[in-house]
Amino acid sequence: MKRTWEQSLFIAVFLTPAFLLFTVFVAVPGARALLYSLQKWDGLSKPEWVGLSNFAALFRDDLFRIALGHNVFLTVTAGSATILLALFFAAVLHRRVRGSAIFRVAFFFPNVIASVAVALLWLLLYSTTDFGVLNGFLAWMKETVDWPAVSLPIPFTGKPYLVYSVVPMLVWTATGFYMVLFLAAMEGIPESFYEVAELEGVSPFGQFWHITLPLIREVVVVGVVFLVIGSLKLFEAIWIMDNEWPSKETHVMATLLYQKVFSEYNVGYGSAVAVLMFVLVFVATLATLRFSRREALEY
Amino acid sequence: MPLVVIFLRWDGAIRPRIPGNERLRSVEVAVFEGGYGITWHQKTAAEYTAAHAGEGANVNVWGEPRMAEKVKPRILRGDPPSLIMDNRLPLWLMISTGKLLPFDEVLDRPAYGSDLPWRDLFLPGTLDTYTSGGKVYAIPTSFGAWACWYDARQFREHGLSVPRTWYEFEALCRQIDAAGIAPIAYQGKYPYYAWFTYISLLQRCGGLALINRVNAMEPGAFSDPDALKAAGMLQDLARRYFQKGSLAMSHTESQLQFVNNKAAMIFCGVWLENEQRDTIRPGFELRCFNVPAVEGGKGNPHVFNGLGTEFVFMPTEGRNPDVAADFTRYMVSLEKGPDMGASIGVISPLRGGCPPSAVSPALQSVLRMLDESMVDGTPGIFNVRLAELLLEWQQQVMIPSLAGLLHGSLTPEEFARRLDKGIAAARANPDIAVPEFKPYDPEIFGEPQ
Repeated sequence: MKRTWEQSLFIAVFLTPAFLLFTVFVAVPGARALLYSLQKWDGLSKPEWVGLSNFAALFRDDLFRIALGHNVFLTVTAGSATILLALFFAAVLHRRVRGSAIFRVAFFFPNVIASVAVALLWLLLYSTTDFGVLNGFLAWMKETVDWPAVSLPIPFTGKPYLVYSVVPMLVWTATGFYMVLFLAAMEGIPESFYEVAELEGVSPFGQFWHITLPLIREVVVVGVVFLVIGSLKLFEAIWIMDNEWPSKETHVMATLLYQKVFSEYNVGYGSAVAVLMFVLVFVATLATLRFSRREALEY
Repeated sequence: MPLVVIFLRWDGAIRPRIPGNERLRSVEVAVFEGGYGITWHQKTAAEYTAAHAGEGANVNVWGEPRMAEKVKPRILRGDPPSLIMDNRLPLWLMISTGKLLPFDEVLDRPAYGSDLPWRDLFLPGTLDTYTSGGKVYAIPTSFGAWACWYDARQFREHGLSVPRTWYEFEALCRQIDAAGIAPIAYQGKYPYYAWFTYISLLQRCGGLALINRVNAMEPGAFSDPDALKAAGMLQDLARRYFQKGSLAMSHTESQLQFVNNKAAMIFCGVWLENEQRDTIRPGFELRCFNVPAVEGGKGNPHVFNGLGTEFVFMPTEGRNPDVAADFTRYMVSLEKGPDMGASIGVISPLRGGCPPSAVSPALQSVLRMLDESMVDGTPGIFNVRLAELLLEWQQQVMIPSLAGLLHGSLTPEEFARRLDKGIAAARANPDIAVPEFKPYDPEIFGEPQ
């Protein structure tokens, strides 16, 4: 069917604002970042064309490899824990346990708090001062029960431990969102599947494994894509918890990018990190989506 | 494509305007709004404008905690403020790219409130931080010193006394520890703080000759036996006497531990009192002492790590640079020094610019330290320039290596090797312009060779 002039105008009117915003805030800055990544520029003097040498330096740089390693570590640990816990909580709530509405809100709550506020909250939780809830609890445990010799307070957010301490925070923040996502998918599964399984004597775990999981697989894969993108772009958690001064022990790619551009004024190198982050996120997303398309089930 | 062109043009066209009559010789002063605030600067600008109304001078001060982010795009666009006061901008980079004007012409004029040239009034070394090619590109508005701070009342109550030597200092730490108080609070989230204690120990162990080698970026300077001794002493201090858990504390958390008497001492700069003024309780007698002498060390134990701070600088493309420079001369003057000290609690970088009566007892103890450092009328102040000069070395080598030394994951030898390797890489980097260095004369500072 041929589109009329009015229809084309209608489409154009609705698309123009989005196109303008995308061009101004995404496409142009993105193109400029790509251009900077091919230049040596300190942000003040005249840029100098250096081709791919910023990328070559990036691949030789231990610091970049370490930062990328931290991203991968956080993606794998925090990501798997988040998906597993979200699936568990969603499955439990799907079984209509008592107070499931309250649990749903309670689990989702961390997701509505600003990420900076979450990081500050966890800084207090981990604090080694009198405000430190976790160290206070450990001190109480040490006094009340026969606790093995451990030196308190534990500097959870000290540089050598920070990357590990961020994991529970990321899991706490993200689990609620994925739980709601998975629960919504589970609600769409016809009840009759479970009734048949009940009649056949399939255990609750068996029902989850053989009915629920295969039928929400597509949504789980989308969840994994979100997590991979989020983990590769991770910034606030490390930036705030390391008091805006990350180092080799704590850097992730986004903090390295920021430090290179805004503290060391190495705009070319920082932009190369940004371009590589974009490529990694793009490839990871594409790979996961392709996997999801092959495995999708219909019911 | 036209859209892209419009955006690129528009992107460079937004510029904040400071209200004011354009016919006047307006000077816009952008001040980092931190602990010192901007009220005093605004009051001083108003005084200057009133006094120079006949010449058309009109000085406007504005402040912003995120000043560096605000003015960077304006420097790039060629529309910077006339004066900027924010050390977080890359001053060396700006100097090497010709983005700053020197103050030498005005430095040679008589100072406000004195017949002497303004330049001659500055404490030795305070103008050196941003001097290149014999020209001074930034003027310090205050004097900073590194010291060990304590609560004199707490010391009295526990029968503790100020140590003169490192041996006495360690004995004092043990005494404090035995009293159930943490000996030393430490700003562990910012290992940079420990740098100043380290360079103070470098001087105590190896004298100013070693400081000269470090400032000259000499190969192997950090691996000198005296430098290794200093690194070992700092590591030992951290392991035995830093407050437990302090590695995970920010500067404000650790300083709060100190002002709440949970820790008895803290190494910090002179800004400590100002930064904690809302948390220091009545009865807390904040005082400081110099980093103690090291037994067998080559350094004069009275000199200390001191330098000009809170620099003001003049972008090349700023408006009315002659008025801007003259306003700086007025702001940093013998006339305004006491007022500045009394109003915002800083020490003037000028000789005699800050009478003890104008400042708090805490800052008076810094002035005493300055008096005690005098050798033949010259204050004994030294500094190491590397952290400000080599931004990448600071971020990627110095800070992580210090963190490693204090956590115990690096030995003093490994720490020194990393610093030396980083310096060697910086020296080999053709993009880094290293300005000439004026070495300290150890003999003038009472360190015979």
